[in-house]
Amino acid sequence: MQQSKSLISQALSTLKGNMERTGDPLGFKKDYWTGWAEGLNLPREGETALLTARMYQMLPYVIQATDMVASVKPILPLLSVKAFSKMFEKAGSMTGEAVLRLKAKSARDVKDKGENVLKGIISALTKVGEHPAYLYETEPYSGVLLYDLGLEKHIAPHVKKVYRQLKTRGVKRVITVDPHTTFMLREVFPSYISNYDLEVLHYLELLSGKIEDLKARAGVKFPKEFVMHDSCVMTRDLGIVEQARQAAAGLGITLLEPENTRENTACCGGPVEYAYADLSGKISNIRIQELTDVCRNILVTCPICLINLMKYEKQMSIKVWDMGELLLAACKGKDTKYTER
Amino acid sequence: MKENVNIRETLLKEIAKCRSCRFCVDVCPTYQASSGVESLSAYGRLQIMKYLLNGILEFDDSLTFCLYSCLQCKRCEIVCKSKGQNLEICELIQLGRSLLSGKLVEGGRRATI
Repeated sequence: MQQSKSLISQALSTLKGNMERTGDPLGFKKDYWTGWAEGLNLPREGETALLTARMYQMLPYVIQATDMVASVKPILPLLSVKAFSKMFEKAGSMTGEAVLRLKAKSARDVKDKGENVLKGIISALTKVGEHPAYLYETEPYSGVLLYDLGLEKHIAPHVKKVYRQLKTRGVKRVITVDPHTTFMLREVFPSYISNYDLEVLHYLELLSGKIEDLKARAGVKFPKEFVMHDSCVMTRDLGIVEQARQAAAGLGITLLEPENTRENTACCGGPVEYAYADLSGKISNIRIQELTDVCRNILVTCPICLINLMKYEKQMSIKVWDMGELLLAACKGKDTKYTER
Repeated sequence: MKENVNIRETLLKEIAKCRSCRFCVDVCPTYQASSGVESLSAYGRLQIMKYLLNGILEFDDSLTFCLYSCLQCKRCEIVCKSKGQNLEICELIQLGRSLLSGKLVEGGRRATI
C-alpha cells in the first residue's frame, strides 16, 4: 500500500513509454513473439488470421519485469518516474533473449510452455480444417494493458492503429488464443471504431463444434482427470464456458469442477501481480487451495492464469496445463502436420 | 477537460444507483485476501471513488492501492445482477482509473484530482 502512487505512476509511465517507442508493452524491439512459429510455414497473409497478440510469448519476460519491480520497491521513493522508466527502457533495449538469460532455466521453461500452447492451438485448428495466416513480426499487441489501467488517451490511437494494420493485411476474420485479446477485439475495439467489421472468434469456439475431430490417439500421454480453472474474462466477459468442456471431452478428459466454477469462477490474482505481488499471492493461494482440493492436475485456458498458478507446481506437487498443451499432445504423431495444407 | 467532466458526472450518477446492499463485498477476491477490508471490495471502491470525486477524500497512496488493486474480474457484477441492480462495477472502476491514470503519469506521487 505504501508508495502506491509512485509505483502505479511509474508502471503507467513505463507502459506508455514502451508502447510509444516500440508498440510493445515490454518495450522490446526484437520480435520475441514469432519464435513459436518457426518451421511451421504458416501463410503470412489471408482473410483469416491467428492473433496471438504476444500474450503467451510474453510470459517469461513478465516474470522478470515483476521481479524487477519487486526488487526496486524499497528504493521507489528515491526513484523519479524518469529514472524508473529509463531503467526499464534499458532492459527493453537489450534483446529479449539477453534479458531472459538473466533468469535462465525457469524462464526458459515458461517460454517453452507458452510456445507449446500456441503450437497445440494451431495444430488443432489445422486438424479441424482451419488454416489461418500468421502475421509474424508484424503481429500487433491488442493494447489490453492500456485499457485495464485506464490509459484512456493512449488506447484510442492504439486500437485504431491495430485495426488499420489488420485491415491493410486483408484480414476479415480473427482467431484469438487468449481471453484478454478476444475481449479487446470483440468488446472494446468496436466502441472506438465506427463500422467495425472484424469477425472475432476464440479458438475454443471453433474447436467445440468439431469435437469428433479432436479425439486423442491411443497412447497419448497426459492425465485423464483435471480440475477446470475458468478464466474470469473468458466466462463473465465472453460467455465462453461450455466450449472448453466440450473440447476436453473431445480429448477424452474427465473434467472436475472446483468450488467456484463457470460464471462464478474465482480470480487467480494475476491481473494485479505487476504492482501488488503480495496481494496477488494471497489471492492465488486461496484459489489454488480450492483447485487442489479437487485434483492435482489443473486445466487453464488463459496465459495469465497459467503463469500465476504455475508458481505452485513445485511447492504443492501439482501440474498446471493449458488447453493448448493438451491439444499439442493429442495432435503429436498424427498425420496432420502444421506445414501441410 | 470536457471529457473528464462527463466521466465524472457519469461516474457519480452510476455510483448513486448502488443500494448499499453490500452483497458484492464478500465475493471480492481482494476483500477475501485482505481478511475483510471493505475498502478492498467492490462496494468500498465505489464509495472511495464517490468521495474522491466529491473532494471529501484526498488522492493518496492508500486510495491508489484500493483502486488499482481491483482485478476487474467482475465477480461482484454477478452478485449485483442477481440482486436486481446490475451495475457494471468493474467498468465504473476502470472509468475512474481513466480519470486518475493521466494525472498519475503527469504528476507522479504529487498527482491530485
